Amino acid sequence: MAERTTFRLRVRFGKLGRLRHLSHLEVMRALERSIRRADMPYAVTQGFSPHMKAAFGPALPVGTAGLREYYDLWLREFVPAPEALARLVAATPDGMAPGAVRYVSEKASSLSAALTIARYEVGVGPAVGSDELVRAMEDVLAETELTVQAKKGKTKVFDLASVLPEEPRVGSNKAGSMVVLTTRTGATGSLRPEALVGRALERAGLPHAITTVTRTDLLMEAEGVFTRPLE
Amino acid sequence: MWARVEPLLVGVERPARYLDSEWGVRVRPDASYKVALVYPDTYELGMANQALAILYDILNRVDGVAAERCFVPWKDMAAAMRAAGVPLHTLETLVPLRECSLVGITLPHELTYTNVLETLDLAGIPLRSVDRAEQDPLVIAGGPCAFNPEPIAPFLDAVLVGEGEEAVLELVEADRAVLARGGSRADRLRALAGVPGVYVPSLYAPSEDASTVHGTGSVAPVDASVPAVVAKRALKDLGSARPPTCPVVPYMDVVHDRAVVEVLRGCTRGCRFCQAGMVYRPVRERSADDVVRDVMTTLRCTGHDEVSLVSLSTTDHSQIEEILRRLSRGLEGRAVSVSLPSLRVDAFGVEMARLVSGSGKKAGLTFAPEAGTQRLRDVINKNIDEDDLLSTVEHAFGAGWRRVKLYFMLGLPTETDNDIRGIGRLVHKVLEVARENTPKDQRGGLKIGISVATFVPKPHTPFQWEPQLTLDEVRRRQDILRESMPHRGVDLSWHDPDVSFLEGALARGGRGVADVIEHAWRSGCVFDAWTEEFSLRRWLAAFQAAGIDPVALASSERHATAPLPWDHIASGVSKRYLLRERQRAVAGLTTKDCSFDGCTGCDACDDLGLEIVLGGASRG
Repeated sequence: MAERTTFRLRVRFGKLGRLRHLSHLEVMRALERSIRRADMPYAVTQGFSPHMKAAFGPALPVGTAGLREYYDLWLREFVPAPEALARLVAATPDGMAPGAVRYVSEKASSLSAALTIARYEVGVGPAVGSDELVRAMEDVLAETELTVQAKKGKTKVFDLASVLPEEPRVGSNKAGSMVVLTTRTGATGSLRPEALVGRALERAGLPHAITTVTRTDLLMEAEGVFTRPLE
Repeated sequence: MWARVEPLLVGVERPARYLDSEWGVRVRPDASYKVALVYPDTYELGMANQALAILYDILNRVDGVAAERCFVPWKDMAAAMRAAGVPLHTLETLVPLRECSLVGITLPHELTYTNVLETLDLAGIPLRSVDRAEQDPLVIAGGPCAFNPEPIAPFLDAVLVGEGEEAVLELVEADRAVLARGGSRADRLRALAGVPGVYVPSLYAPSEDASTVHGTGSVAPVDASVPAVVAKRALKDLGSARPPTCPVVPYMDVVHDRAVVEVLRGCTRGCRFCQAGMVYRPVRERSADDVVRDVMTTLRCTGHDEVSLVSLSTTDHSQIEEILRRLSRGLEGRAVSVSLPSLRVDAFGVEMARLVSGSGKKAGLTFAPEAGTQRLRDVINKNIDEDDLLSTVEHAFGAGWRRVKLYFMLGLPTETDNDIRGIGRLVHKVLEVARENTPKDQRGGLKIGISVATFVPKPHTPFQWEPQLTLDEVRRRQDILRESMPHRGVDLSWHDPDVSFLEGALARGGRGVADVIEHAWRSGCVFDAWTEEFSLRRWLAAFQAAGIDPVALASSERHATAPLPWDHIASGVSKRYLLRERQRAVAGLTTKDCSFDGCTGCDACDDLGLEIVLGGASRG
């Protein structure tokens, strides 16, 4: 059977405010429901258990917020992008509202494979001074590897030079200070930013004062250049 | 308040339970009369409760009234809240329950009683009505357990018996009127007692009659100003009710995570063990047009990918085939499915299941023969025979289903060991028919699910006087059943008999049982419906502390002429009819379905001024 023509709409959305406490599965289900509420002419997979054809970018853990998250939605009918955006915004809870949409090529690689670079802000409460945090980060980064507890009692060893393509830096805001860092997903998987900052605080004998974790950007990497999937 | 709650979420299980901000929540900050609607269990169970969704929708349409949801925080969150001094509050605007005007609690089954006390305690509201102060909210319960409210009555200020759509508005209006003129708490309670269907326990006192079993006494009004018998409320016609088509859409994976449209209310098949079949009479169907319209609206408004057509007996709707055909046309190509909660045991039932599954996946089918022999099925008035069941199984496997689940009950009145072995014999036959109608290469993994519950006699049924099996006897009969079952091809599961025993002791208790519930909660009983949380040992200690014998409560036969703890609550079905049905049961005589075969004299229509409504039109 010939594949029917579909249109691949890429949608940028957020996971903000209270909704940061949702799991990836809960976010996916909520967005699928918003797509149905928006009455988007979504394509349906063939097979025994047909479902909406949509694909999501890398998962965000429970508790982590996201400013620029993405999903791809395949449509049976073309809906002009501004109209699609307006309909989705009207049907999505505020904390997840789409910010931009664009049609992308059917040949474009999947979001989960392409989005290997992530930028984060890890908020650290006032119990840790900004200078202390700077020194703690310098010390942890002086090591070449970071060992992290994984599931089932296993550990993962990250090569810091490879998973941190940019030098982390410490900034400050009203609520205290924060670590801004960029991670690269590699063979070992993804480094959770709070694991690195947590290790830094622990090594320095400082309180575990991480308050918030926000993924501020998801990027594709090509020949050392980082680009957003929707611009 | 959120700033105090959010830090508690770190490290608790499933924070999505406590977030609010779902699609479809109503926030009415300007309303002065706040109602907390409580489901006495966790979010994921409570969000599946349709009664709460209906009341939420209705109350939030009233000027000046805001209804907000509240569920029982899981133990980790409850501990965190107690440690941080955060009182139990509503989800929407985080109003502490004790600052609401009214706290409405639905009582779905007896095992939620300790959670009601947990709710009140977390909210800082005195457990007992008698201890509450002027500024405390009124605590009002409803739901299935309202038909025998006595065991929990001392913790409640009022109980709404029956269907709440109209009564809840009258009740709120009556209370607001008293508040507006500066009336006292006592005035408010008196006003509530004047609303038809509302029972105010403090205006009824235990009767002098010495009941034979401690804890089973009845109650009577303290004066002539309140009705001696509170009759349940019921809608005349569901066509005039506006069901919630834009309910709150949860983020987390709740039970029954789908859109719900009610297709009919009541069931008059007349199964003699079934409380719902007795207390929700008569049958009132919604029209096919209304059902189809509401399904489409609800799906559009919620974005769910599944809709369930709910009722006590959906495939009995006189227009069910038309409804399902119209829905399957209307939903084509959208990967949206329709589900039916239970099926009639006949070819029509399977045909309806086939209509909704189309060519897609075939989830299991569930049927409830309830008993293993024709003799016992006649006793309980389960009007199906063995041929019905076997031909249903033949149809189901012939149509491609590979999973069937059968429900049975152990300990029904008059049950003999032969009846129990009859379940085994029936399952052997079902398995044989299933094999014969399954292609050879698929027979290997063939399984029939068998789920066995212990019979619990319930108030307002023809079996309300019957003794419940003792735990030892349940175990003896389970052994017989186990031995009679086929060795292969059967997945046998049991309802925990300890749980059924407690359910039975609570279900037919009187007001004295409230002391047991309080002892149980104080000794740590919460979430009793959760297998891993349930402790019969703690409950038995609570009964002992209260001086009530749970075995006598559950397992002695009640005298047909003795007053019952629920005599002051009328379901519309008369005691005369229940006694007659009990006699017919013992004689093995069946009674037909009055919705289709003529009146059987249960008195519900006459007593309540109602009539049977089929296809949305009164049968006249």
